[in-house]
Amino acid sequence: MDHLLYFLKRNTLASVGLLLLALLLLMVLGVPWFTEMSPVAVNMSQQLLPPSWMHPLGTDYFGRDVWVRVIYGGRYTLAIGAGVVMVAFLMGVSFGIVAGFVGGWVDTVIMRSVDALLSFPTLVLAIALGAAFGPSLTNAMLAVAITLAPQFARVARAQALAISVKPYVEAARCLGVSTPRILWHYVLRNGMGPLLVQASLALGSAILQTASLGFLGLGAQPPAPEWGADVSANLPYLRASAWVALSPGVAILLAVLSFNLLGDALADWFNPSKRHAP
Amino acid sequence: MSRFKILSALMLACMFVAGPVFSQSDRNKTLVVAVSSDPANLEPGTNKAEPIGSEIIFNVFDTLVSWKAPAFQELEGRLAQSWGVSPDGKSFSFNLRPGVKFHDGTAMDAESVKFSIERTRDINPYMKSNFGLIESISLQGALDVKITLKEPMPVFLSLLAQPQAAIVSPTAAKKFGDKFSVNPVGTGPFMFKSYTPDTSVVLEANTSYFRGKPKLDRILYRVIPDASTRRLEMEKGGIDISQQNAQLSSIPADELKAFKDNKDIEVIEVPSQIIRQLEFNNNITENSPIKDVRVRKAITYAIDYDGLLKGVLGGTADRVYGPLTTNSWAFNPKMKAEAPNYDPTLARKMLQEAGVKPGDLKFTLYSFQGSLWGAMATLIKSNLADVGIEVTIAQTEFPSYRALQTAGKFELALDGRQPWYNDPDAHITIGYLSSLANSAMTFRMPKDPALDALILKAQTTVDFKKRKELYYEVQEAIANKVPGAYLFSPKLIVFKRANVKGLVVNSAPPLNEYWNVSKQ
Amino acid sequence: MVRFLVDRLLSLVPVLALVLVVIFSLARVIPGDPAVTLLGPGATQEQISALRLQLHLDQPVTQQFLSYVTGLAHGDMGRSVKSGRPVFEEIMRRLPATLELSVMAMLMAIVVGIPIGVFSAIRANSWFDHLVRVISLVGVSTPAFLLALILQLFFGIYLGWLPISGQTSPFIFTERVTGFALIDGLIAKDPPALWDAFLHLLLPTTVLAAFLAATIARFVRNSMLEVMGQDFIRTARAKGLSRYAVIFRHGLRNSLLAAITVIGMKFAEMLGGAILTETVFAWPGVGRFMFEAIKNRDYPVIQGATLVFAAMFVLTSLLVDLLYGRLDPRIRKKMQ
Repeated sequence: MDHLLYFLKRNTLASVGLLLLALLLLMVLGVPWFTEMSPVAVNMSQQLLPPSWMHPLGTDYFGRDVWVRVIYGGRYTLAIGAGVVMVAFLMGVSFGIVAGFVGGWVDTVIMRSVDALLSFPTLVLAIALGAAFGPSLTNAMLAVAITLAPQFARVARAQALAISVKPYVEAARCLGVSTPRILWHYVLRNGMGPLLVQASLALGSAILQTASLGFLGLGAQPPAPEWGADVSANLPYLRASAWVALSPGVAILLAVLSFNLLGDALADWFNPSKRHAP
Repeated sequence: MSRFKILSALMLACMFVAGPVFSQSDRNKTLVVAVSSDPANLEPGTNKAEPIGSEIIFNVFDTLVSWKAPAFQELEGRLAQSWGVSPDGKSFSFNLRPGVKFHDGTAMDAESVKFSIERTRDINPYMKSNFGLIESISLQGALDVKITLKEPMPVFLSLLAQPQAAIVSPTAAKKFGDKFSVNPVGTGPFMFKSYTPDTSVVLEANTSYFRGKPKLDRILYRVIPDASTRRLEMEKGGIDISQQNAQLSSIPADELKAFKDNKDIEVIEVPSQIIRQLEFNNNITENSPIKDVRVRKAITYAIDYDGLLKGVLGGTADRVYGPLTTNSWAFNPKMKAEAPNYDPTLARKMLQEAGVKPGDLKFTLYSFQGSLWGAMATLIKSNLADVGIEVTIAQTEFPSYRALQTAGKFELALDGRQPWYNDPDAHITIGYLSSLANSAMTFRMPKDPALDALILKAQTTVDFKKRKELYYEVQEAIANKVPGAYLFSPKLIVFKRANVKGLVVNSAPPLNEYWNVSKQ
Repeated sequence: MVRFLVDRLLSLVPVLALVLVVIFSLARVIPGDPAVTLLGPGATQEQISALRLQLHLDQPVTQQFLSYVTGLAHGDMGRSVKSGRPVFEEIMRRLPATLELSVMAMLMAIVVGIPIGVFSAIRANSWFDHLVRVISLVGVSTPAFLLALILQLFFGIYLGWLPISGQTSPFIFTERVTGFALIDGLIAKDPPALWDAFLHLLLPTTVLAAFLAATIARFVRNSMLEVMGQDFIRTARAKGLSRYAVIFRHGLRNSLLAAITVIGMKFAEMLGGAILTETVFAWPGVGRFMFEAIKNRDYPVIQGATLVFAAMFVLTSLLVDLLYGRLDPRIRKKMQ
């Protein structure tokens, strides 16, 4: 705990990131206590109102409060981020550590497939997958997860390679510990650091990609308040009522920023030279 | 270091000295039109009713007959100076205008008409079924052509006014082969000059055009896919005309607001024949509440039509009261008198009488993608919730949506039809003939021999007045079945700079003709 | 060296083959067929069937695959469903525009990112460093479409300084020689055209470069800090080398090596990420072409463009490896 506090004190950006994230979580999870306004109730008489006391960010084309929509949209965003990264993590890491640990032709096959997957322009693959499985949020998330998995695979493989030659792993093998156990207890446990860093950076990427898909119309369907979809839905009113389209956009920026800050902080944390006092 | 400074100074100087490459007078003789995607299929043989390609065809080629502006309800001769229809409705004879030449200098005559129409019939899958009805085309003289059909089809004349029926230069078509669609040669007011993929198409004036030389020297089509970019260019004067393609997916509300206050830009609104509706799956096989006509009627009374027209569409559409728009020559005024209006209390009562309690009914509402359809769906969802019907919105990507619709896997759907030729037949036959229910996105009418016979009779009757009466009957018969809630007909909106004069906006198909356009 | 090259080039084949199979099946899994999309909502079944026949879509998938692969061997990528023109031609006509944008964005990112990263590392924890870190963090967190819109609004309309769409002004006619507007302007010895091309490049390049520059700056900074903390640096200083000599001769060289790999990878990514930018700025490149093709279910174009992208990615990785090898003597030895 002391380590953590000391670390945070020295690392302002990390503290900012954590604070931002905490704020985000608080707002998003606690929103029903702050307001009873619904993000989906249509009220055509209140179209496109500028920011005011009642509506801090104004209203959109359907008279819905933008602030409330953005906050509810935050729930979607966090769920999206968490879901996508979890799936990508599971897929990528499982293939990666097997490839790194087992080596040989298994390694070659897995890594060649990863390479092939990597050579797809990410957005294109996500668009094609999203279009293949039908435009819905779950399908878009799956698509983004598939495009993010290779990065986890690569890092996991590198970690597995490095750890598999360590003496304690050899010792475990001599003792007759089964391979799955070795992978779980030794490789994964010890290689977690960079993987966590990758995960938090991937969170930011996942949110950006899903928002881009939402922007292109392949993600959440109306009237869901997903941020990317909201930006594109409100583009026609950009000149006259810019805040309606910009608010979800800025929200994306802030969320991704906080995750990137977190990722940086984690990277520093796992870097022994940075964590302790010199 | 100093060499670099001299170079950059020179470049800056050039920028100020050289200035715009086009002088002001050139700019006033060039019309710049913004389009949203790469123009493809610029000739009748390959054109499949793509909006941009069709417009270019209308300006580079001529058809035999054409709709008279501005009402577009009567045909006039273009390449044909006169024509006649046989009493049995199967033969059409055309006497062609003499002395008309194609852009490559060859003469337009009966031979070229025969060549063009047969060519389109043979290579254009879009026209295969329509032109497939042609039994023979015979040359009655150098300038006389007779087209005989296998069955009577009064609609055939309207089809001849379509871009796909335009007349091409046989010499050029043979010379260019399959490259003809990037080197189109016709008789029209403008000649094709160049095509840069994804960037532009340039047309130059045909000074020997038979209707008179066009007032412009050049038309430049600029490809700008993003709507807000088009708007910025319009305001800066980078483009002169921007057409909303029947607002298929979004409403230009932002632009409308801004342009109405801008004295350099004019907004032209022209009524179209497009109809958008909430349709029911009228031949659904499973047990569904929408099989009950009382439920269907209740739904039509639950929709806030005004809210839709004013709120969601911002006044850019007209109300539709039945299977045909009010500007169709066959529109039955009774439709307007008897159309449902927004009455949630009545709707609730109707549902009650049908034995339905609030919360009983749950539907999925399918529709196209795009913010316009999303907005429509959202409003309707809210309206139906007010009368106790729960709706889940499912905006679906077009190919999947079509597959779903033609397979009949829905109960409620938002749909619409843009008639691709100018005749009530374009809405009625395809939409309501029960034998065609699964062949396209239709109202899926159940089998009704009386209605089907009526529709077919109206399609093939040659006498104009009789046809009109028959269509009146058809509309009433359809309206009684409540196959859907007719919502609106979007207006064609064209943004143009105020100094552009003489623009003719065609409503079916929606496109512009530039022959008479000039800039001040 | 040659063995290394041949080895790597050969490994291209299975990767591309895998890519081909995946994209072929993916394109066909996407529901909805091209004929339907092309003809739109109003089309009848007859019209659609007639078009399908014309496009050979009625053949079984395996047969379509076989004819496609045989075509590839002859350099024929099939014809676009929408325009009917050869896919290879269509892609090659648009490739220069995308390359121009990507290369310029890459240059901008390098020219901006590396110096900033270096100075940030040298003056670690100063106000400059903090500012840079914040800006670059924001840079990697901003959605590209947001940045594009804001720049367009600001520079295009409020200030009116820069053009907001297209690769060139439609009123300036330059002979198309290479498809790179800048080079064509040079060849034509036409200063206004050159200037015009440059102005058109500015905004889209900035949008595309923003993410990359921020990533490079962050990477270079971290890499430099790591390198600078190592023992051999202390040794060099102890030997009496000046601060700047140490930084540039030892620190920078080593961290740049790692940066090259990252830059190479990101360049390939950027080729695909250009899609959004190309659409917002109406840039006539392959990214936009590919996106429209997906919407139109234009299979031949989707397949062809993906193959081209994949090939470029693999070639770029190869180039990066070669470059890395030339610069790092340890690797060079391994390659021999």
